[in-house]
Amino acid sequence: MNRRIVMSLVLCGLCLLAAAAGILDSGAADVFLEATRPDFQKIPLGVVSIENNGGPDWLGGRLEEVLKKDVKRSLVFELMDLPSLGIKVRDVGNGLGNGSKAVFKQAAENGVSVLVWGKAGLKKGEKEDDVNMEGFVYDSGSDEIVGGKRYAGSPSVVRLMAHRFADELVFRYTGEPGIARTKIAYVSAHGAARELFVMDYDGYDARQLTADGFLNLMPRWSPDRRFLVFTAYRDRNTQDIDMIELATGKRWTLVSYGGLNITPALSPDGNFLAFASSHEGNSELYRLDTRTKAVQRLTTNPAGDLSPSWSPTGRELAFVSDRGGGPQVFLMSSDGSNVRRLTFEGDYNAAPAWSPRGNWIAYVCRTPRKEYKLCVISPDGQKRMQLTTGGGIDDSPSWSPDGRHLAFSSTADGKSHIYMIDADGKDLERLTFEGSHNSAPSWSPAS
Amino acid sequence: MGTTYSGIAMALVASVALLGVSGCSKKSVQSGGDTQSSQHGSTAKSGSTEGSKTGVGNFPDTSMQSGGSGLRGLDKNPSEEHVASGFGASPAGASAGMGGSLLAKADPSDAASRQLDEMRAEQAASASAGLRDVYFGYDSWTISEDQRQALTRDADWMKTNPAAMVKVEGHCDERGTTAYNLVLGEKRAKAVRNFLVELGISANRLSVVSYGKERPSCEEHAESCYQQNRRGHLAVKSGK
Repeated sequence: MNRRIVMSLVLCGLCLLAAAAGILDSGAADVFLEATRPDFQKIPLGVVSIENNGGPDWLGGRLEEVLKKDVKRSLVFELMDLPSLGIKVRDVGNGLGNGSKAVFKQAAENGVSVLVWGKAGLKKGEKEDDVNMEGFVYDSGSDEIVGGKRYAGSPSVVRLMAHRFADELVFRYTGEPGIARTKIAYVSAHGAARELFVMDYDGYDARQLTADGFLNLMPRWSPDRRFLVFTAYRDRNTQDIDMIELATGKRWTLVSYGGLNITPALSPDGNFLAFASSHEGNSELYRLDTRTKAVQRLTTNPAGDLSPSWSPTGRELAFVSDRGGGPQVFLMSSDGSNVRRLTFEGDYNAAPAWSPRGNWIAYVCRTPRKEYKLCVISPDGQKRMQLTTGGGIDDSPSWSPDGRHLAFSSTADGKSHIYMIDADGKDLERLTFEGSHNSAPSWSPAS
Repeated sequence: MGTTYSGIAMALVASVALLGVSGCSKKSVQSGGDTQSSQHGSTAKSGSTEGSKTGVGNFPDTSMQSGGSGLRGLDKNPSEEHVASGFGASPAGASAGMGGSLLAKADPSDAASRQLDEMRAEQAASASAGLRDVYFGYDSWTISEDQRQALTRDADWMKTNPAAMVKVEGHCDERGTTAYNLVLGEKRAKAVRNFLVELGISANRLSVVSYGKERPSCEEHAESCYQQNRRGHLAVKSGK
């Protein structure tokens, strides 16, 4: 009897090893254990102040404002209102004086786990004066100043300094790179044309990428953030799938079959481009091996198949098909096998986006009142939730790389603009305010 | 046993996640596809030939992983990091994680003005031909009886102008997703083309293109406007 138990323990150990090898082999798990669980306790963090130390009047305040918003959006920290806790917001200097000791003590007594402060000023640069910033972090658990950062750069990168510091805080407390330095690519109307733009994740610093004068649609990032793939209309009459290098503006035509060439999406390892093309009759899904240039057809169906979205492991694809009448979200293995329908509620479900954590697929769902809103569904179809409400037409959900937010477009305020919302439907934030039409956001991977 | 298993699994997942964060660069050299790559609009031609690989162009390696997060962690005696606006992977040995290259500025080429000129010529030719648009129902690509009459007149014009080449554009209203509306727009354009072929127009005089909901003729959020946008538009091709 005892021997049998020992044997089964040994066997069990072997299968554990096999399971371990499997996980390590794939390099990633299907569903990640993470800080988006509802019971995750946010870390209470207070920003004391970023003091001006000889810079322009706006400098410290700007850094402080950007940093606070980043901390809040991280969803890792609870941004504490220090004055309401009776903690005086003042210069704690290098954190070594008696005044700062008192502030630390007060913070610890009020449950503030992390205190952040800093100062900013000007430094002689080669052409113009550089801005510099110092930030420090006090941890009340260990009762010590755990460290700081010093940054310098031109005045045009002030926001980026705050973003960088915010990401360091997230990295320190979670081991994740943070999202404050991520970008969002999108389409914006430019006269009658639609061109590609890229902005910071908080809507600032928008830059135009293309100037073709016609239509460029639905950009998606390469996993290394160097490229975007998108649909371009060449001479207005044909569609290509193009790639543009952000740093140089250099362009390549990846796919130029006749008919539709739409919804390109690079696999998480960058080795495959999934896309929809109608060159063999109706819109079908294909997979292009970016190393061998071999093209594999994934779907064979008289209905339209489109909008592939990779699972974080690259093993599966979510996509849209109207094989049942209206468009619905389906799943399949990335070689085209094992197709099964995922959405059953409502007669129009489209534009799926698989969360980088694997646990949700966001999509556009048409409600019984014929409103186009955002929904999320678990890949096993067991959990489903409508995230947005109201009359605006919502489209193109795209996950932040930490899986805690979605960017999407909506006509909620009249014209189409880009918005951000938490994965649980809270904290709706509008990101674009200029232009007559902003659409098709794609959130970059983390750097 | 179950707890042990999940405990170990969690530890493994955590370590895998940490490996991912530390982000060791996987490849550092580009495939060299750059130099031979076909620039946009130059050599790559629309690959209408079926089953061939002419529709796939050359392009650079996209499997290169970025060189880590660029974060160095907090330091008790922090050295100064230079922050520069940048994109993508940092070049190896860059002084700061974000010291990548700048984002290229969009090149205001002649393309845009050429497009405008051609569009104006197309519109003028289509207007003088008196071709009529075909309108569709919500979610539909079926040509209704009254719309067939409009198309019959369009076909008559094409028969009396046998040299004219016509582009059938499929359009949608703003409801629904960008992507699915491109598919819907193609279904509408093909329905129009097929009907014209039934009426005796040679298929090689007709091309189809879908603009989805991206080129509306009307911008209001109302059914009166949506109706005008759910259309098949016939354009007389100018030039080639």
